[in-house]
Amino acid sequence: MTNRRLANLAVVAALGLLGAACNKKADASGASSSAKAANGKAPILIGITADASGQYANSGDSDKRGVIMAIEEMNAKGGVLGRPIKYVHMDTETTPATGSRIAERMIKQDKVAFIIGGVSSGVANAVSQVAQKYGVIYLNTNSSSPSEAGENCHRVKFVWDGNGNNFSQAAVKSAIGTFGKKWLLITNDYVWGHDTAKATRKQVTENGGDIIDEILVPQGTRDFSAILLKLQQKKPDVVAAAVGGDDLKALRTQVAQMKLGEKFAWINNQQDWPDIYGLPRTDLFGVFGTTWYQGLDLPGVKEFNAQYRRANADSKIKTPGNVFYNGYWATRALLETVAKLKTTNNRAIIKELEQLKIPAATRMQHHDAFMNPATHQLQQTIYLATANLTSNNPDDLFKILSNTEPSQVVDKDADGKCKLEPLESTPVYEP
Amino acid sequence: MLPHLINGISLGILFGLLALGFMLIVGVMEVINLAHGSLFALGAYVAVEIIDPSWLGEAGTAYLALPMAVRYGLALVVAPLVVGVVGMGLERLVRRTYGKKAEYGLLLTFGASLVIEEGIRIAWGPGEKSLPVPESVNGGFMVGDLIYSKYRFFAALLGVVLMALVWLFLEKTPYGARVKAGAHDAEMVRALGINIGRLRLFVFAMGAALAAAAGIILTPIWGLRPHVGVDAVIPSFLIIVLGGVGSFWGAVIAGLLVGITVGLTGGYAAEWSVMSMYLLLILVLSVRARGLMGKKSALEA
Repeated sequence: MTNRRLANLAVVAALGLLGAACNKKADASGASSSAKAANGKAPILIGITADASGQYANSGDSDKRGVIMAIEEMNAKGGVLGRPIKYVHMDTETTPATGSRIAERMIKQDKVAFIIGGVSSGVANAVSQVAQKYGVIYLNTNSSSPSEAGENCHRVKFVWDGNGNNFSQAAVKSAIGTFGKKWLLITNDYVWGHDTAKATRKQVTENGGDIIDEILVPQGTRDFSAILLKLQQKKPDVVAAAVGGDDLKALRTQVAQMKLGEKFAWINNQQDWPDIYGLPRTDLFGVFGTTWYQGLDLPGVKEFNAQYRRANADSKIKTPGNVFYNGYWATRALLETVAKLKTTNNRAIIKELEQLKIPAATRMQHHDAFMNPATHQLQQTIYLATANLTSNNPDDLFKILSNTEPSQVVDKDADGKCKLEPLESTPVYEP
Repeated sequence: MLPHLINGISLGILFGLLALGFMLIVGVMEVINLAHGSLFALGAYVAVEIIDPSWLGEAGTAYLALPMAVRYGLALVVAPLVVGVVGMGLERLVRRTYGKKAEYGLLLTFGASLVIEEGIRIAWGPGEKSLPVPESVNGGFMVGDLIYSKYRFFAALLGVVLMALVWLFLEKTPYGARVKAGAHDAEMVRALGINIGRLRLFVFAMGAALAAAAGIILTPIWGLRPHVGVDAVIPSFLIIVLGGVGSFWGAVIAGLLVGITVGLTGGYAAEWSVMSMYLLLILVLSVRARGLMGKKSALEA
């Protein structure tokens, strides 16, 4: 092979690989529900910004399904304001720049009424900046970086997942008492990881614990052996991991393989259902947080699970899980608010959502949920769970250890950091 | 330091194994096979089906009664063969690009990688799978007060065996000599009455089978999902460029170097561990533009 030819090949290959790495999905994969307005009224179009590729593709799919089930449920009741609800989905590719571009396109070109969906905090932040510019209400369904309802909060954005700070508060105090004071943090080196680790660090030191080290893990890490060796050399009592997406899957596989899950007490900030579904339960080490579980013994859960199965027969995931739940509830609450107010005016809806209260029984959680008007984050029950080693049912992987009411795990830092734009300076938007 | 060095070497062997099939195809056929990663993933998925063929239903009961080690061993042989056949299909398509600009082959294999990945998603779903390994090589073992993964060393051992087999094949068999000669001067080989088309078909199949074998060996460590191939193809390409395109020993040494670099950085400055392999590449290429052993390729050896 000549030098020149080799150089050409290398350049083209590098470009090809860049394309592969930056992900392979086409720009937009639109889909629309089939609801038709009997009275000929214009439909309400919802833009779904869910990752269909990249680190959070699985969670994005689950998120999207949740949003769609809520839409279809409302359409079955005749839509809202006599208008059918349609949706358009575009792949945000777990990439903030794509998120911005898609949000612009959805608002300017597709003229969506609302934007819903978010798993990666970077993407959610990017989408919400665009949404704020136009006054379009955006529901961040599933990204759980504390910054989303902290320094990156916006008047148009409402956050539906528990965040790193909520989960840390639920877990840290009891873990220090049970397992010990020497903590080591393994942190994904991006905004969610850092924010979550910061929240854990604060909790640990406030409760008399000691952070002996923090190991930063770059996104895209597939081999954790060196980190696991270092971990053993440091001999912590507790390992708190804020590692997400595919990185977490690789970490989990390797921890399980070395049986290190039993050697240390692991506190994993949050465990999303789509990330663990289908894996052996031995891979599910340590204690982790979640906002909901389909095995909760509460009225309505069984019916909700059945509704999920009917609506998602094509999904490989046979039970809803927390990501689906958040997507569903965010959408349902928004549409119910529109129906209640009889308007799609953004300012009216924002005011109403700021006062939102949903009884525990309706949301199938242990405690009432309410919107924090100062941060726009839904305050809800935080569950701690671990692997359910006594069941053989592939859909029953978690054992719920505790439920904590929202007032016990308030993210107090967020109130100080979040500076919502005044409602008056948020552009009026009434699709 | 020593635990991290040992860890780095084991990782390096795995990286070398990862790049082997890629090296063979690019070295012998001058095709940068961007479907390498997808074939890697496909191998692992096929292996899962061979180890645990739940689709067989009742008929599979007797088979499932076989020890896991037997089924794993079978998967390690059969899945690469299956993927080798897929590789042959791919070669039939790539064949049309021979003698044309190299970009055509590259784009074709890139397209094939997308098709294979989507095919996997349709057949097995987008979620995580787990490739089971025999219990005897699972778990950890203690050295001093540190636990090491048994499987990682077993995988490294398999890697060494596979690399040795490829080397023996290329260096010590008449067919290996034909492969090298075919790459060196295809016209002359054809003139000597050797079917060069069949030779290329075979090399592509072998490259694909090696990608599949690497997938079976590595995915119990990395996890198995449809896009795991992207995780594989980037380091493979990097190792080939670092080692020198087409050089067997270049790939092995580059794999080891990358493994040691990533292993050591992971131990002391983990936030640099992913970046370190790219920095290594820049460092080496700025001194030796053709990679470590760019001149002495498998074809000239």
